[in-house]
Amino acid sequence: MKNRLPSRAGEQIDRSTILSFTWNGKKLEGFAGDTIASALVANGVTVLSRSMKYHRPRGLLTADYWDPNATVQVGDEPNVRAAHRRLEDGMVVSAQNVSPSLRFDVKAANGLVGRFLTAGFYYKTFMKPAALWPRYEKILATFAPGGKVDLNTPHGYHDKRYAHPDVVVAGAGPAGLAAAIAAAADGASVMLVEHEHEVGGHLLWGTDDDRATAAALRAEAEAAGVEILTNSTVTGRYEDNWVAIAQRSHPMAVERLIKARAKMLIVAAGTIERPYVFAGNDLPGVMTSGAVQRLIRMYGVKPGTRAVVLAANDSGAAAVAALDDAGVDVARVIGSGDRAALVKATGSSTRIRKVHMGDGTTENCDLLVTAVGWTAPTSLLNMAGDRPVYDPSAARFFPGTPPDNVLATGGITGDGTRDQLIEHGRATGRLAAGRAAVVCHRLQASTARAASVDGAEPSYPADERAALPRAPHPEMFRAATHGIVDYSEDVSSKDLFGAAAEGFDSVELIKRFTTATMGPSQGKLETVNTVAVLAEARGETIAEVGTTVWRPPYAPITLGALGGRVFEPVRVSAIQPWHEANGVTPILAGQWIRPEHYGDPAEEVRNTRTNVGITDVTPLGKLDLQGPDVPKLLSLLYTNKWMQLPVGGVRYGIMCAEDGVVLDDGVTGHLGDDHYLMTTTSSGAATVWNWIEMWLQTERPEWQVHVTPITTGLASINIAGPNSRALLGRLTDDIDLGPEAFAYMQVRTGTIAGIDDCITWRIGFTGELSYEIHVPSQHGLHVWNQLLEHGVDLGVQPFGLEAQRIMRLEKGHFIVGQDTDGLSKAPTTGMIPLLKLDKDDWAGKPEVAWVLDDDYPVVVAVQPTDPTVVPEEACQILRADTIDIVGRITSSRFSPTLGRSICLAQVSQEFSEPGTELTVLLVNGTRTTARVMEHHAHFDPEGTRLRG
Amino acid sequence: MALRNHPAKYSAFGLVRRGLRKTNWPRVWREPDWKSSYDVIIIGGGVHGLATAYYLAANHGITNVAVLDKAYLGSGGSGRNTAIVRSNYLTPEGVAFYDRSLDLYNTMSVDLNLNVMFSERGHMTLAHTDSALRTMNWRAEVNKLQKIDSSVIGPDEIKKLAPSLDVSTNTRYPILGALYHPPGGTIRHDAVVWGYARGADAQGVDLHQKTEVLDILCEGGDGADGKGAGATVTGVRTRRGDISAPIVVNCTAGWASTIAGMAGVRLPITTHPLQAAVTEPVKAFLPTVVVSGSLHVYVSQTDRGELVFGASVDPVATYNMGGTLEFTEELAGHVLELMPGISKMRLLRQWAGLCDMTPDYSPVMGPTPVEGFYVDVGWGTYGFKAGPVSGEQMAACVANRATPDLIKPFELSRFTEGELVGEKGAAAVGH
Repeated sequence: MKNRLPSRAGEQIDRSTILSFTWNGKKLEGFAGDTIASALVANGVTVLSRSMKYHRPRGLLTADYWDPNATVQVGDEPNVRAAHRRLEDGMVVSAQNVSPSLRFDVKAANGLVGRFLTAGFYYKTFMKPAALWPRYEKILATFAPGGKVDLNTPHGYHDKRYAHPDVVVAGAGPAGLAAAIAAAADGASVMLVEHEHEVGGHLLWGTDDDRATAAALRAEAEAAGVEILTNSTVTGRYEDNWVAIAQRSHPMAVERLIKARAKMLIVAAGTIERPYVFAGNDLPGVMTSGAVQRLIRMYGVKPGTRAVVLAANDSGAAAVAALDDAGVDVARVIGSGDRAALVKATGSSTRIRKVHMGDGTTENCDLLVTAVGWTAPTSLLNMAGDRPVYDPSAARFFPGTPPDNVLATGGITGDGTRDQLIEHGRATGRLAAGRAAVVCHRLQASTARAASVDGAEPSYPADERAALPRAPHPEMFRAATHGIVDYSEDVSSKDLFGAAAEGFDSVELIKRFTTATMGPSQGKLETVNTVAVLAEARGETIAEVGTTVWRPPYAPITLGALGGRVFEPVRVSAIQPWHEANGVTPILAGQWIRPEHYGDPAEEVRNTRTNVGITDVTPLGKLDLQGPDVPKLLSLLYTNKWMQLPVGGVRYGIMCAEDGVVLDDGVTGHLGDDHYLMTTTSSGAATVWNWIEMWLQTERPEWQVHVTPITTGLASINIAGPNSRALLGRLTDDIDLGPEAFAYMQVRTGTIAGIDDCITWRIGFTGELSYEIHVPSQHGLHVWNQLLEHGVDLGVQPFGLEAQRIMRLEKGHFIVGQDTDGLSKAPTTGMIPLLKLDKDDWAGKPEVAWVLDDDYPVVVAVQPTDPTVVPEEACQILRADTIDIVGRITSSRFSPTLGRSICLAQVSQEFSEPGTELTVLLVNGTRTTARVMEHHAHFDPEGTRLRG
Repeated sequence: MALRNHPAKYSAFGLVRRGLRKTNWPRVWREPDWKSSYDVIIIGGGVHGLATAYYLAANHGITNVAVLDKAYLGSGGSGRNTAIVRSNYLTPEGVAFYDRSLDLYNTMSVDLNLNVMFSERGHMTLAHTDSALRTMNWRAEVNKLQKIDSSVIGPDEIKKLAPSLDVSTNTRYPILGALYHPPGGTIRHDAVVWGYARGADAQGVDLHQKTEVLDILCEGGDGADGKGAGATVTGVRTRRGDISAPIVVNCTAGWASTIAGMAGVRLPITTHPLQAAVTEPVKAFLPTVVVSGSLHVYVSQTDRGELVFGASVDPVATYNMGGTLEFTEELAGHVLELMPGISKMRLLRQWAGLCDMTPDYSPVMGPTPVEGFYVDVGWGTYGFKAGPVSGEQMAACVANRATPDLIKPFELSRFTEGELVGEKGAAAVGH
């Protein structure tokens, strides 16, 4: 560690703990508390990366999170901020974006032809010959910057946390610390979030007294009960102060997302030092004044041996003091706000060697330090709707007028002494606590649980803070020469001038054309210089040019933290344990896992048609409807009539969306006075519930209807087959199952297998005599077992979804979403008698009325001429001898009952007449024929079985 | 249709020549002088408006045209979409419409003499359920008949095309198959905007940026200020002054109904945000576009190495483009389901665009009850894909004062005549 300075008070490193790591395969050492970058510089490494386009060698520039030249690969993690990430023992660190190596990079040859590769050059070439463009594209893509993703990266531990603090403070410099302390002292709960590893902000690289003050403030904040989160970033401020915090300091998670509903947000983000634009400004050894102070004071690292300092502000002088401390020879200080004072820097491929002055003199050096001004990172304020305002006298943007629940303090709002910053912070903290108390009071007063709150509402404190002063600062953005403006994107001021001259002369256009500010720091370093150069090119002021909109996140956040645990719940019925214990083959149906079959679906069909079968239909959507206006609701949403359905009756209905397209279908039973149970399709359960709520809440708020989704509250079992009545009869005493007493399409409530309040209705989806029972979910498994136990001699067997699908197809029942689609209006189902145009109004009625006069496609039953051919679902139906599509097969199975293939199809009306011969194009490309049937039902079209 | 009258042809030779002479390229388009009258005014400087202007000039010789934008060119949906193009739609009419668009995109770099970086990288729509797979099969069968390169592939082939996808069966939503469409891909959306802008400008079209339209001037109508049914449009009022014109075309998105309202024309549109996001760049690892309907996400990797994500529209109608945290959380969760190995990639930026949704998910194109006032609006989530063909057809519509057959089904009158676009709808969104 040849560049390590002697130990000094207040440094962040622990010299007693030595950490080993590798850099591009070479073994190096650093200290605990080092960042990767500080350890590298301590070891004499000057080139950390190569630039995106020209592959120019790059060294440390800002030595903080935003350093555009210090992005490295660490193991399987790409794009690690080396100047922020702390060194760990055993880290495997390598340079990114090098081909093949950091020292020798063949793409650096691009630098030689750089004058031809101006910003956006790719828009102007490679058009011809068009056939070659894909090859050019592949080459261009190799210039993509960034590290490598290891696709075997484990998901890792990612949890999230919710918090409800009164105040979130973003930034723990002197102002942020003081704000947190003052807010906590006034009784607010406070989260203080600091991007860096230690609180204190710029005090950390200041004087001994500065560091003592930071330590004292930290102690005070801890004593006041402030929750301090270091190495954490407020990444976003969303509506109503919904604040996202990326916590990287969690002991287990790589990064954890904290979601905080803050009553007040204080933005104390400080300032970011701007690089200076001049020829050679990206040579390794050119650094900001903050960078050298950090390296020397925090990490005990000597940034160079002989320095030139461009000091347009106090930070330049502070850098000179730090360099003196570190024994760096300060060859010259250019203490001027004159942009002509410095012309350019020149050097070798690894280091700056010489600075050329405006007066014609030169200075040899290996370090050039620039202190030319600040950028206020107003990103979080922008997210709150604020637009920053440029102040030419201070040469930077300042916050405008944020909303009442967002306050700014500290360097982002102005300058001042340490004490002034602290005082402004304290005043901001008090204001935030006062406003948070009002919000608290209002929240409590408006919650049902706490109807009475003590005392009157506190008065809402006005913002009476004295503004921080603004120190005059020269407008220093660019020297007379051209240099790099966006280091990450390799965009120079010359590129920006060229783009502006070409007409990409608004800040958004120039950003899109040159990609300036679109890199990893999202403009934190580059935006103001970009705007300034554009203003210069256009001969306008910076205020006239304006700035781009900063969007979330403030700093990039891992997909792991955002995604959290992979948490995709699975829904299963109460009977699932039985299915799993009995050889089920499951099928995924939306959120549900359902039994597809238990070995042989054809046998399940045969047994059900011969004896009796039971199937678990719990995923059927179920809605409990109560209230005097339920019939009106049903009449509005179903296409058929519901006003006269007697208690004990069950009816089938089709629902349409407002465009007349079939939305869902199902049966609804009238259980008792003002009480109904609606069933929906399994996949439509949530849609129908939303649909009902939409109508009740927005269109018919005066109707008295309560809707409760009870899909999982009831386990549903369908008992089907000739022996179903006998089987159910063995388990109930109080329901009269006689064919007259309990006819088809009737509902009864009674006791089954000892369980009260079971709802039973007679319906016939399978075409057999069948009962569907809905039992309280916790008893579902019991009832299922009882049915199996008591039906052995009746031949009871379970059947799965596949057998059910076969049987419904044998009966010609359509399935919403399979036999209809997102364009199928209700008449397509063929259920014309259910479309009651004489009814006053129903959802979709006008569209259905219109389409009835049209040539809408129709669902028909179809049987292939060759009974052994089972066309794939999706096969197209063509006009004979053409490729004109006239329909398609929507459902297709081999029927074990009929011993032949059977289908449903959607065809245009011209082809819907019974007996029509259809041409079906099979997926393998061959054509076959099929015939349109007279009835939808392939089997028992009269329905004698189900009505028995 | 090739570009004519252009002062500076783009080519590799030109790059070298200007590099040697160290001269800048001339303006890509002029900063036009203010004029008080045009033959046609187009409101909205996005791909639809600019393409309409371009084809008015290129195909019909109508060049006394102004395009007005309240901000900068491409500042709306054209600059906010995820730049995916494809033609594997469900209905034959949809296929024909978008295939024409894809054709135009394919030759656009040459036609416009500007590289729009069309990347024919293949487009893959994943099926996680048997019902989704059935729909994929249906689309593939239709596409096959239309000679569109589109087929259903299984998990093994999916893994070959996109090794980052988890095709194992132990996921919550296993990947059962995919509809694979090799000609689909991505395009540099801004370049399309600039290409049409430059092409239109070269033929004399005036592009007025930062020119917000405040009102549409009409006379003779039933409504207030002579607007509404029966009116004739006479011009527009902008922040910079009035402009007269016998024809005004509304090519806006997000505020289409507001602009139409200025002429007294009511559009059946609700506006919803659609959110998108981009990650930090990494070296190329995802060579195709991947779409998952069940997981509400689509993703592609740009030539710059960033992953670009989009989702479906937000459920709530609003003009707020602030974006939500929840979007990024759901997006990341779903992306990690598909590609579990990328949890250490970082989200760099999120944004939102506005989508004008119509009741039948189809656009509104053609004349309105106000004489001379045309619309090309209501493009929902798929306006970018349709930009070129819409411009071509709208230009024909305006130039000939007759709606071309290809867009006839999209006329505004369908909402009052009950002819909602369904299966006949060329651009009706597939599902």
